[in-house]
Amino acid sequence: MADKGRACGYRSTMIQMNRLMLRYPTGKIALSGMTMNIEKGRFAYLTGESGAGKSSLLRCLYGGVRPSSGQLTVQGLDLRSAGQRQVRKLRRDIGIIFQDHRLLFSRTVFENVALPLRVQGWKPDRLVARAEKVLEFVGLKDRLWSFPEALSGGEQQRVAIARAMSTKPPLILADEPTGNLDIGTARHVMDYLMELNRQGSTVIMATHDLHLLDTHPGDIFRLHAGALEEELHLVSGNGRGAGKRETYVPEI
Amino acid sequence: MPRLPGGFSLPPFGLHQWLALVIVCIALWAVGLFWLGLQAGSSWTQGWRQDIRFHIYLENPDATRMQQLSGKLRAVPGVAAVRIVPLEETRTWLDAWLGGSGALADELLSALPGSIEVTPAAHGGEFIYDDLADVARAFGAGVNRGEAHLVQARSMIARVERLLWFGTLIIALAMIIIISNTLRMTLLARADEVQLMRLLGAGEWFVRMPFLLEGGLLGAGAGGLAWLLLWPPLLAVSSWLEQLDAQVSGFALLLPLLFGGALVGWLGALLATTRMTSENTAPG
Repeated sequence: MADKGRACGYRSTMIQMNRLMLRYPTGKIALSGMTMNIEKGRFAYLTGESGAGKSSLLRCLYGGVRPSSGQLTVQGLDLRSAGQRQVRKLRRDIGIIFQDHRLLFSRTVFENVALPLRVQGWKPDRLVARAEKVLEFVGLKDRLWSFPEALSGGEQQRVAIARAMSTKPPLILADEPTGNLDIGTARHVMDYLMELNRQGSTVIMATHDLHLLDTHPGDIFRLHAGALEEELHLVSGNGRGAGKRETYVPEI
Repeated sequence: MPRLPGGFSLPPFGLHQWLALVIVCIALWAVGLFWLGLQAGSSWTQGWRQDIRFHIYLENPDATRMQQLSGKLRAVPGVAAVRIVPLEETRTWLDAWLGGSGALADELLSALPGSIEVTPAAHGGEFIYDDLADVARAFGAGVNRGEAHLVQARSMIARVERLLWFGTLIIALAMIIIISNTLRMTLLARADEVQLMRLLGAGEWFVRMPFLLEGGLLGAGAGGLAWLLLWPPLLAVSSWLEQLDAQVSGFALLLPLLFGGALVGWLGALLATTRMTSENTAPG
């Protein structure tokens, strides 16, 4: 059925938002009338200047903050009316990567990577094998029992990626995951994210590093002052080319 | 670092935890010591109780009144036996007390009142002394007041026990607050971990459980340590307790201290994590 839909150029929607507005209790308006859809299996970049609303949008997507008005549906769940239980369930299906990676420094790499698995109720005897597997993916299998402190910045970010992908989530949200990394390391991190996307996960990444788009193309959603300013669809993601509107690398 | 099953490490055990452990241990030790003291006092007066005899004295006794009085005394609740003390027995005792002066004993004996000995039952009524005094008064007799002190000591110990329960409750509340405060500081130090668990979709009890376990273990550890520390004072007074024939068992306090400590630790953790609001989606 999915193949048929893909062949017809139809892809189900992972994220749907319509005139989304987010106003913080301080009065600051972070998102004002954002309307966009992101299909399943895409690799989407959220770009824009600082304060454009990228991080706020990501926070909305994982239920970290509730939209003030408009409509936001993630994996079929209306986040404006969803209860706490539903939000928790949604979060278990989302892998989140932060710019500051938010690793637990008093815990081993294994414990960091296994945390989402524990939250999902995996049996303890399966955790080590799974953690080894995802760490092997990011090339850190031998650091299973190390503490994050002993790792370089790039390695820490790879552990964060391993943690985000450990439960094989259908959606991965990355908030400037390459922000603190040099170009070489950043490209490696992007390779891993691209690979996850190829394996079926929808990836939404907020970034300032526009040079990464040369080598790792995807859909680009350029935000400005809390609204969508430009939407560009490049050859990217799972089933590349399907439904594309643009095939060139934009000059942003 | 030791690892728990499943590859997990033990939670960090820092200065706050050590301080809480020591404070709770001292409090539990003090509580344990008080209860041991009560145990000793209770055992001591129970030993007395086996030897308690009340003596009722009737001036100008005659056989009929003595029989009537002893019959009334036998009917008092909590009385096991009543015996009219024979004159010969009184004379022997008086003779021994005076150091073998038979003539003087005979002279005094005629002036002594008639004596009735009452033995209370093992679990005699709480008001046995008052009841005996009432009966004796009706016959113009009196009860040996000194012997009443034994009964009063028992009633005092019962009162002390009630006070001790109250004191234990107050100390338990203080320990709950101390553990709660310690764990609240731990929570602050591990706020990032809590936040991360929430972002990963962890439920309320999943987030609270490590802290509840930590509180329980902290309390149980303090209880175990307090129990160990009860032995030096217990051994120090053991010969004295033996002289008093007071039976005191340190082992009897092991489980109450362990489980009591675990309970207050767990309650402290529950209190500390109650304010970790379940609201994990901020309104926009």
